[in-house]
Amino acid sequence: MARVYVSSVIPAPVGRVWARIRDFNGLPSWHPAIAESRIENGEPSDRVGCVRDFRLRNGERIRERLLGLSDYEYFCTYSILESPMPLSDYVATLRLTPVTDGDRTFAEWSAEFTCDPAREAELVTMIGRTVFQAGFDALKRQLGS
Amino acid sequence: MLEVTTSTILAAPTDRVWEVLRDFNGHDRWHPIVAESRIERGEPADRVGCVRRFVLQDGSELREQLLALSDLEQSFTYCLLDTPVPLFNYVATVRLLPVTDGDLTFALWRARFTTRPGEEGAMRRLVAEEVQKAGFEAVRSLVERAGEG
Repeated sequence: MARVYVSSVIPAPVGRVWARIRDFNGLPSWHPAIAESRIENGEPSDRVGCVRDFRLRNGERIRERLLGLSDYEYFCTYSILESPMPLSDYVATLRLTPVTDGDRTFAEWSAEFTCDPAREAELVTMIGRTVFQAGFDALKRQLGS
Repeated sequence: MLEVTTSTILAAPTDRVWEVLRDFNGHDRWHPIVAESRIERGEPADRVGCVRRFVLQDGSELREQLLALSDLEQSFTYCLLDTPVPLFNYVATVRLLPVTDGDLTFALWRARFTTRPGEEGAMRRLVAEEVQKAGFEAVRSLVERAGEG
């Protein structure tokens, strides 16, 4: 099982960061790699079990299912249903924790998946950089004072 | 049940911070309110179940038991057995997590407890300020100074 873990400190209170991340259909509004997104069957984006169908700027299409969402613990867990990446059993969690001294947010984004061992290092690096770290860098730019 | 949580970012890698925090008997070397500490029965300080008996700067004596210790998660959990202040059912966890895009540490200290009616505010302040915040500031001065070479 391959594992990716990226964490960062966002210079904004957890409520402001969560307001961005909570919307499972909101990736295009903050993540630089995502061009457009919609929720299938017209369901609300905070309905656990809903599916987002989104397109990257490079044209690739991905479908993901919302597995868990917590307004109490500030986390969102989802799985990949369809993607052009050569992997399976992909489950990821994006989690926020308040930093009590300084009104900042500790953000963690992790994923586990199965793939051909020969592709593992490449996939771990690609997901960690172009998806997770790129997302955190964008949040830091957008939410920094 | 009351809950008090303090978290901070330390400018040192988690392994360096964990070296300091892992020693359940080491708090008299860094925590400003702890004068001296020892582990009862001469047990090793990383034996889960061991009890530390320690004296605060004001002379009061406390006993705490190690309930869990994880080198994988870099966390430990302990409870208060005896204390002169009205902190009951006190269980606390300290946990470290890496900030991967800066080689920093996210440190979190969470305590849950009950107290006598009317003392909630004073006990919250005691735990948040004198235990957790003062503790993290002391760890900060130790690990951040050491990192400057």
